[in-house]
Amino acid sequence: MTAWARRRLALPPAWLVLASIVPFALVALPILYVMVQGFEAGISGILENLVRPYTLNLLLNTLTIAVSVTILASLIAVAAAWGTERCDLPGRRWWRLTVALPLAIPAYVSSFAWSSLGPWFQEIQGAILILTFYSVPLVYLPVVAALRSLDPNFEDVARSLGHSRWRTFRRVVLPQIAPALGGSALLVAAHMLAEFGALSFLRVETFTTAIFDQYTAEFNNQAAALLSGVLMLICLPVAFAEARLRNRRRVARIARGSARAIVPIALGRLTPFVMLGFVALTILSFGVPAVTLCFWVVEGHSAGQGLERVLPALGNSIGYALPGAALTTIAAIPLVIATTHFRGRFAMLCDRLPYIVHGLPGIVVALAAVAAAIGFLPAVYQTTGLVLLVYIVLFLPLAQSSVRASAELVPRELSDVARSLGKSPFQAFWLTTLPNLLPGIGAALALTALQLMRELTATLLLAPAGVVTLATEFWNYTSDRAYGAAAPFAAMLVLISGIPVYVFTLRTLRLNDAR
Amino acid sequence: MTGINRRTVLQGGVALAGAAMFGGLAGRAKAATGLTLYNGQHRATTEALVAAFTKATGIDVTMRNAESPELAAQIAEEGARSPADVFFSEQSPPIASLQEKGLLGQIDPATLALIPAKFNAKDGTWLGATVRTRVVTYNKKMIAPADMPKSIMDFGTAALAGKFGYVKQDGFQEQVMSIVHIKGRDAALAWLKGLKQYGRSYNGNRIASTAVENGEIAMALSNNYYWYSLAKEKGAETLNSALYSFPGDDAGNIFNVSAAGMLKSSRNQAAAQKFLAFMLSKAGQQAMIDTTAEYPVLAGLTSPYNLPSLAGFTAPVSPADMGSASDAYALEREAGLI
Repeated sequence: MTAWARRRLALPPAWLVLASIVPFALVALPILYVMVQGFEAGISGILENLVRPYTLNLLLNTLTIAVSVTILASLIAVAAAWGTERCDLPGRRWWRLTVALPLAIPAYVSSFAWSSLGPWFQEIQGAILILTFYSVPLVYLPVVAALRSLDPNFEDVARSLGHSRWRTFRRVVLPQIAPALGGSALLVAAHMLAEFGALSFLRVETFTTAIFDQYTAEFNNQAAALLSGVLMLICLPVAFAEARLRNRRRVARIARGSARAIVPIALGRLTPFVMLGFVALTILSFGVPAVTLCFWVVEGHSAGQGLERVLPALGNSIGYALPGAALTTIAAIPLVIATTHFRGRFAMLCDRLPYIVHGLPGIVVALAAVAAAIGFLPAVYQTTGLVLLVYIVLFLPLAQSSVRASAELVPRELSDVARSLGKSPFQAFWLTTLPNLLPGIGAALALTALQLMRELTATLLLAPAGVVTLATEFWNYTSDRAYGAAAPFAAMLVLISGIPVYVFTLRTLRLNDAR
Repeated sequence: MTGINRRTVLQGGVALAGAAMFGGLAGRAKAATGLTLYNGQHRATTEALVAAFTKATGIDVTMRNAESPELAAQIAEEGARSPADVFFSEQSPPIASLQEKGLLGQIDPATLALIPAKFNAKDGTWLGATVRTRVVTYNKKMIAPADMPKSIMDFGTAALAGKFGYVKQDGFQEQVMSIVHIKGRDAALAWLKGLKQYGRSYNGNRIASTAVENGEIAMALSNNYYWYSLAKEKGAETLNSALYSFPGDDAGNIFNVSAAGMLKSSRNQAAAQKFLAFMLSKAGQQAMIDTTAEYPVLAGLTSPYNLPSLAGFTAPVSPADMGSASDAYALEREAGLI
């Protein structure tokens, strides 16, 4: 791979701009909603609501959690990736899967499990711990994919020039995995800003829990909108930092380079300690929640209730998650291509906006959809179609990041060649770029389907009445403290999540092998 | 290159997603025939009520379940176009917020007259469906009943520093309003500041009462049914926690109700009135109290939950006095709680 100089890029063709407008408009809706609600409060209202010690405290907590979780998860993920990709660790294939496994457990399930262990875990340090273990796979998988795609010659050259292993890692490997690491780390950061489900079991107040408190306490959507506005402002630098990280270098290539197997580093006497580290990681991130689920079934008197709903709920979870994931991924493709293969301010804006909205709590996005649908398109209100559109708004960045990982590896020249052979811009995209995006599309589908199966608020407020999913049933029984009855739904959610986790893991790992 | 296969897969995927989208639009729930009920009360309770209602009247009810404040925010956003006919809220403040926005219709006076006036809205736009008592959950191993605080006001003092938890939701605003009514605004503000200084805030009542059960904290301000749901799940005899009420007519003693009302915009008002009347009938009340540890608003019925008698429980302030508790919100903000 060569670090090519940045080439002057053309503006995106008309079809791409048109295709980007749909997701752009969808994502702009909640932003407009928050702005209208916020401005109704007036300037004095804004100042009065926001400039208080309480807001500062929320800001501190929110940032502490987002920054600590992102840094800790990145450190653990890079260390784990180094262990499974560059060391002679026994059973590496197995460890790769176990590190990815916690993805199958919803954050609110693992948070509930941890919080029941004691008050220490309910404070901010507990929140950081729980959310870190939850986030590790989201960084680990892209980093592993990046590590596997590196040309080992660079490392060999560095070593032969007398660089130590650490220096080689820092000077040669780290810069090359930086886009993957940075992109996934910032996605985790945006995700942490919006996290609510996990925190509702703890004693930590962040912007998201405060927004919920505002709805609960005052029933005035303005104060909640103001806090949401602040949350979006915090997301702003996160969203643009991610773009800067990626724009720095070009990683596309046509040939795979010398695809030589890497000689793994011999761990020697360190092996048992490294193994122990992986075992600990697995126990902490997967074992604790899994054991808690089993415990519920044994201890809960309500165990066995509502079992007849497990299958319909499973069917609905899949029936909403799959089309939702497909639509979200389709919406993500033009946004990604417009920025990776072309340039333009509008394209950049379209691409960044979803990351900002990703930081908003689900209730705010759902209420924006209520206002828009009731006001302009009452016929679609509380239809499956509307829920699917809201899913796009909520989860677009997940699909974007996966598709982008593929798109950056596709040389722009491919579609230039197709154009020179007389194909229209769309044909050129359809025939050359799109087929090469498939690994990323697969990863995007799996990751969005995974998150969609857990979505609760938008499904409750906007799905046709009476629709039950695994997530809504889990919520229903836990809110009545019928943990025994809730356990089968959680277990089914974890089991069925295993499929997208498996697909996502394989897709991400093979991202660079597939062409 | 495996481009051709990939292209086929892609085209198939696009077609599938398109079909799903149209299928979704077409697959709209038909709610026009029966009643549409937005439900924030425990689902099992409302399901039992609805089943009994449909059996008695033949009218179908479609339920939408979510947290009450979320549903109230949703109805406020829907305005006059709301598909909801009836809203059943777990607490009275969410539905009272809709009353203040003028979104509720008048309930038949004959229905309201079935129960004590203190459980209904003063303007007759919502009714109390079930009653609970505001209580203190305490851990029996950490504190003896005799040593329990004698008044809610004690919780705002240094004497209880670090010994109790509180939750700024479900029932908390009513608590604040009760103190405002009896002790005045300044006392309520001082109490809230004390709470912030000396108490531990939890993000939910279930979590707080679990913390008491596990001995993480000695006491928590709560509603009675959270303890009963834990007792049902784990067995009452095995619990470390118990419930406590203040003696006399302390400001901490309050009734809070689950409440229901009809949307002014409902195109099904006759059926909605029938449903509300059924909620206060013997059959409707029994269906509800059989499935949740709450008291009936109608006299002469008994709960299977072995609830303590309400005879000694005096609450000076009624749910009707509290409204949407927006004053409580202003006070909580002044105290820096929210």
